[in-house]
Amino acid sequence: MTISKSTLRGSNRIKENDKRRVVDETSRKRRQRKVMELLESDNYHDDPHADLVMSKKVPKFEDNLEQRTTRTKKKERTADYYQNKFRKNFQQLVEEDRNEAEENNRVSYMDIKCEESTLPPRHFCAVCGFLGQYNCLSCGTRFCSIRCMDTHMETRCLKWAA
Amino acid sequence: MADAERNASLLRKNDKQKTIQKTVRRGRSSSGNSGTDYCKSDKMNAVVVDSGAFTIKAGHSSRDNPTIIPNCIMKAKSERKRLFIGNQISECRDCSGLYYLLPCERGYITKWDVQKPVWDYTFSKNVCPINDYPVILTQPLFNFKLIQDCMDEIFFEEYEASSMLRLNPTDMARLKYNEDHNLTDDTPVLIIDTGFSFTHVIPYIKGNKYLKGIKRLNVGGKLLTNHLKDIISYRQYNVMEETYVINQVKEDTCYVAEDVKAELKLAEKYGKKNNIVKNYVLPDFNNIRRGYIQDPDKVDEGAENCQILRLNNERFLVPEILFHPSDIGMKSMGIAEAIVKSIFLCPLEYQRALARHILIIGGNCKFPGFKERLFKELRSLLPHLWHVNIYQPEDPILYTWQSGSALLSYPNIKSLLVSKKEYDELGSALIQQRFNHWNNSIVVENEEGKTPSQPSPLEEFSLMNNLKGKSVFGKHDIGTSSSETTTMTPTPTSSRILINLSEILQEAASEPGKEVVGAPGTQSAAAAFAEIVEKNAIITTASAAALASGAAVLPNDNENTNEQTDQDGITAKKIRLRDRSTSQDFPLVPPQEEDPFENLVLFPFGRNSYI
Repeated sequence: MTISKSTLRGSNRIKENDKRRVVDETSRKRRQRKVMELLESDNYHDDPHADLVMSKKVPKFEDNLEQRTTRTKKKERTADYYQNKFRKNFQQLVEEDRNEAEENNRVSYMDIKCEESTLPPRHFCAVCGFLGQYNCLSCGTRFCSIRCMDTHMETRCLKWAA
Repeated sequence: MADAERNASLLRKNDKQKTIQKTVRRGRSSSGNSGTDYCKSDKMNAVVVDSGAFTIKAGHSSRDNPTIIPNCIMKAKSERKRLFIGNQISECRDCSGLYYLLPCERGYITKWDVQKPVWDYTFSKNVCPINDYPVILTQPLFNFKLIQDCMDEIFFEEYEASSMLRLNPTDMARLKYNEDHNLTDDTPVLIIDTGFSFTHVIPYIKGNKYLKGIKRLNVGGKLLTNHLKDIISYRQYNVMEETYVINQVKEDTCYVAEDVKAELKLAEKYGKKNNIVKNYVLPDFNNIRRGYIQDPDKVDEGAENCQILRLNNERFLVPEILFHPSDIGMKSMGIAEAIVKSIFLCPLEYQRALARHILIIGGNCKFPGFKERLFKELRSLLPHLWHVNIYQPEDPILYTWQSGSALLSYPNIKSLLVSKKEYDELGSALIQQRFNHWNNSIVVENEEGKTPSQPSPLEEFSLMNNLKGKSVFGKHDIGTSSSETTTMTPTPTSSRILINLSEILQEAASEPGKEVVGAPGTQSAAAAFAEIVEKNAIITTASAAALASGAAVLPNDNENTNEQTDQDGITAKKIRLRDRSTSQDFPLVPPQEEDPFENLVLFPFGRNSYI
């Protein structure tokens, strides 16, 4: 009976581990940043009206203006006017503010951000939410038990992504 | 006791409201409805608009409560022919998979094509017309110039407001807090505003924001909802599209645990022992319009065919992010730590008073147990002789809007308002300066303006004494001549002493507030020294240790000054008795993070060696 050398000896677990890619620090950080950005996002799905072709019957914003109680009707600008006039994204605004603040030596938006905590971080299992003391060798995610580890490996482990 | 206090304040508030209404009526009858005459009545009326990132609270100041309008445009899957602006969402039958258009990005308005229609809706005839009344509008802290420009333009040119005042929501809230608690206008108050986009900690000293003490924590209701959505989608159903529903789930089920570890242990249990786990019936927008927590004892027939969420540790771990953002890998301190840090950044003589008057407002305060947990954490982080009082208003979301009436009875209110005429003449930039100066930069000017005259020669002398003391220790340990250490002028030649001195100066400038912050010269000198320190790489361990020991002595001196300034009712004698013990715990609260020698304080020269 001949058995090939590769299956002869050694633990399967170690072989598995050797095959697994370890995600380096930079991509772990990148993932973390991505998660933080996602937590600030407004929607996770696409605009349900995106494929809608606007016909004239569709009421537009301007229809509301009739109800307003301004004395004169001379200056009524559309919403697009303001959007175009003040078109700047958040990053640009922050940057501008910081430059101006540096010139005038005043406290700015960036200065008041909280620093890193002096307390050590707590670790929670990414799968079930209870305290997790182990971390994934590939991607560093925390888990608490073999069961949660298996779930993690099958689903969110970075060995697939990144 | 707290209850009694709240009741009393409530009574007072009610009384006030009645008087306000009376005056309103009187004002109306005397001046008619012409609007331009509002200045003549003793009580002004205005349209108060608290324009938050999630909801706009708008209403006429004579009313008891504002209209709450979601600050967004929503698109529903079911109704493809229309958009829902603000409150119109109540007309929507099926709120599943709502698509949000939010005007704000991290709390600051960037999408004007969304904000404009929402405001149009808000100020339309049926909701909250402006009608020549002055407009009081809130804006986030450090609102960007461009946004301010646009706000001015919209309100003055588009809505033709007769006059307007833009201010931070906390400015108003402070006035109401002072009014409700019968405090004088210059009582220091610390306000925590925890809303949809972020959480701000703002110390008010002498009625003005102390800019250097402000802290922002980038955790708000939006992040919490998104996080809850994320973990439910991973563990149970995919609800990534159901922001509207999950926000309700959060509001209905989440709470703040007083002790997380104990709560986790409880949540791990099976069966009846676990009273945390709750079943939440999700709405199907057919029979059930809004989700609810299922009663475990009753057989629920309506929920038979419905989807049920099982919520266990999610209930308290989600709001926990406010206290420990590091739980989700965010590199930021929690709310309690930020408050402590903010307090210790303020001048020493106000620190105690700030801890006495802490006001929490904003939607996140509505988590049950939030106040208790915050108190528990602050109590353990702040010096034990200080009184810590946290006041949470009955409705923390509407508190800002309700404080509009307190603002309108403010004596200077008329001079603060900017009229349309002034806007046309001066333009937006000058008006911004006016808006921003009130309650804001005045603080810094005040601090700098008053302090050079304040420190008497005696105080300066005592400071010099302190410095001499420090350098003497330094001398002993490093072995440099003592004649140099007493000179205050920076001479870049003797670098080691410079380091020594600069350290002490820095320490002194940041720590004992009253005496030192005074002279701006010292501060700038300290800053200059600090630069030198950074550039200098010749700090030997011996000098470092010496510095550390020098720093270790300082807090004791601070404690003494604190004693002298303290007139809060506890006698100085009592403190002196405990002096030893307090001076031991005192420096444990980190006064300045960037002090590189802080860790050396305990080693090798304990501070006891100098007492």
